[in-house]
Amino acid sequence: MYLKQWCFIIGNSAVPKKGGTLVYGRGGDSVKLDPINVTDGESLRVTHQIFDTLVKYRENNTEVVPNLATSWTVSKDQKVWTFRLRKGVKFHDGTEFDAEAVKFNFDRWMDEKNPYHFGGEFEYWGYMFGGFPGVVKSVTVVDKYTIRFTLERPLAPFLSNLAMTPFAIASPTAIKKYKEDFFKNPVGTGAFKFVSWTKGDKIVLEANKNYWDGAPYLDRVIFRSIPDNSARFMELEAGTIDLMDVVNPEDVERAKANPNLQIILRPSLNVGYLAMNMDKKPFDDIRVRLAINYAINKKALVEAFYGKGLAIVAKNPIPPSLWGYNDKIEDYPYDPAKAKELLKEAGYPNGFKTTLWAMPVPRPYNPQPRKLAEAVQSYLKAVGIDAEIVTYDWGTYLQKTENGEHDMAFLGWIGDNGDPDNFFYVLLDKDNAVKGSAGNIAFYRSDELHEILIKAQTISDKRERAKLYEKACEIVHRDAPWVIIAHTTPPVVAKKTVHNYKPHPTGSEPLYRVWKE
Amino acid sequence: MNEEKRYSQTLWKRAFSRFKKHKTGIVGGILLFIFIFSAIFAEYISPYDPIAQNLEDRLQPPSLKHPFGTDYAGRDVFSRILYGTRISLTVGFISVALALIIGTLLGASAGYLGGWWDILIMRLIDIMLAFPAILLAIGIMAILGPKLTNAMIAVGIVAIPNYTRIIRATILSIKNKDFVDAARALGISPIRILFRHILPNCLAPIIVQATLGIASAILEAAGLSFLGLGAQPPTPEWGAMLSESRQYLRYAPWTVFFPGMAIMTLVLAFNLFGDALRDVLDPRYYR
Repeated sequence: MYLKQWCFIIGNSAVPKKGGTLVYGRGGDSVKLDPINVTDGESLRVTHQIFDTLVKYRENNTEVVPNLATSWTVSKDQKVWTFRLRKGVKFHDGTEFDAEAVKFNFDRWMDEKNPYHFGGEFEYWGYMFGGFPGVVKSVTVVDKYTIRFTLERPLAPFLSNLAMTPFAIASPTAIKKYKEDFFKNPVGTGAFKFVSWTKGDKIVLEANKNYWDGAPYLDRVIFRSIPDNSARFMELEAGTIDLMDVVNPEDVERAKANPNLQIILRPSLNVGYLAMNMDKKPFDDIRVRLAINYAINKKALVEAFYGKGLAIVAKNPIPPSLWGYNDKIEDYPYDPAKAKELLKEAGYPNGFKTTLWAMPVPRPYNPQPRKLAEAVQSYLKAVGIDAEIVTYDWGTYLQKTENGEHDMAFLGWIGDNGDPDNFFYVLLDKDNAVKGSAGNIAFYRSDELHEILIKAQTISDKRERAKLYEKACEIVHRDAPWVIIAHTTPPVVAKKTVHNYKPHPTGSEPLYRVWKE
Repeated sequence: MNEEKRYSQTLWKRAFSRFKKHKTGIVGGILLFIFIFSAIFAEYISPYDPIAQNLEDRLQPPSLKHPFGTDYAGRDVFSRILYGTRISLTVGFISVALALIIGTLLGASAGYLGGWWDILIMRLIDIMLAFPAILLAIGIMAILGPKLTNAMIAVGIVAIPNYTRIIRATILSIKNKDFVDAARALGISPIRILFRHILPNCLAPIIVQATLGIASAILEAAGLSFLGLGAQPPTPEWGAMLSESRQYLRYAPWTVFFPGMAIMTLVLAFNLFGDALRDVLDPRYYR
């Protein structure tokens, strides 16, 4: 007993221990490991370790700090950004990181005619910069360690955008070498090097001993995908994984009682929603969309499937922690009678048949997707809407919803940069309702909203912008392209022996400062 | 003709009197009766709508209000099991009927005609038998798509080889018997001989196999639903109920226990009943 306590005290001391393997249990496998060509958190969580961005966020908020770029200046008209780059940084393949490499990456992303513009749809570039090339007019190499961006118009979230995990600098040599297979052979400058990927099972990374910000404490990180939440939790209890995210509410209670486990809450920056495809009948009719909003008891859903104290019912597309949140909005109450009435008015007195797409993997904004879908199916049935539940594997699901093949589909979003623009513009603007790479899978096209969002991008006064986003909340509430379900504070459960793990609101965090007893 | 009919009546009569003395058979019969009764009258017996969710009352332990408790969506487990009986029995009967019809046709033609047709059919059957049943069923489901009716078809197809082989073997042992030769000598057409004289004599083993087959069909269909390939939510299918409730195993064990028990009891009932039928119908026990 004494010995045990003594060990405990030593173990808890602030001196980090080197070595060891961290096994990270998660609900789904990555889709690709080419950060610019994915939109899902499970891919970005891994690429975050392998690649670095020019700038990055602080460890617990979305304030921007230097990363591969050490300093930057912006012209008075907010159109020209100049970055000084870090010297002596090397990619994992030994090639040097410099301004040419940065230019190579940006040219690859923004220019559809670039010979290296392959490997996917480059969705995030479109989402954040408004198309190809979008807002960025040109990228020029000033000298070996200086790069300059010239913008078409001021873009308020420009710097925050650059800190997003997708805009990570990859080794030009590796892209040229692996071509279309780059996503299976990622090479960056990050704290961990890619070792292997067994599809559907695990991804293994090893420490980059020459990392410019100091070698990681861990020797290896293994990302294991275990789709079943309770199976994953049992593995954690058994000790075969060190850390897991997306935990069933019941299991969180159990973890609280387990002296070997700790619960770490991820700051909330997400939204889980049900999108109605407005390109398809009958969802083009506002009355039908409102009816569905009235038909669903969101409070009961959140309590049953998200867990007490782990989520709140949502009424805006952005979480309350974000500026621009409009608290004056009054959410549609649960009122099935009103829903029926609206359906009748819209010409569907006996309801209609449709499909309800359920996500195949649990995500922080939707920890129990299948059950949530079943419950919603039941609510819809009560007002006469006969919805069949459909599901696909994760990659296919995302692709098909981006193509607009669904009627109603569950999805969610974890904010990438702490700017409301990253929610509104990506998920609800008409610019991103493009079939094939849609972020706006409700295919909601409002000119009124578009005008406000573009205006909010060009001005830099935060208070002015907040007002515009509050207005945007109103418009979205009125037009109801979604049933906005929840904002969660997702729990991560880890062994007590894991130290310094700091979940970031954006959903992925660097692991090179994490250490294990 | 009359002679023959009388004989078959006595066969059934004798079988019935033997069955009455078969204890485990009686137990199986009673259990089966209860299941069939509740399947037919599910609407009248079940206290709640099996798919009506009530999130406020979720995961309630068994009580007077909910004899088997409620599941994660607040649905009454008892009502769901009652309706599930209907689904499982339907799946069992329909898939076995499918297998029986196709299997009988293939087996009878193979056994009676012989020659290259026999070789062709039996090699195809051998190929089907080379796959484990559930694997073959999953393969068929992958082609047909996840749906309860497709699960019935898949389970039915998987069971075809059993019937084909039994029928063929029985026919081979009967077709050279004297009464068949006599019929042939009288100039009766081969089809008539097959259906009037040979097949009725294969009935006993088929009935036994079909009864036992229903048990395995129910089990396989529940397995497919457990894997998400069979019944789709919110259908109260037992296998699906097990699968969707398994994450609550440690917190609300009744949501898993009762569907599991239901599957086990129904399969046991069919097995007991089928074994008893074999005992009373198999000529080897006639002594």
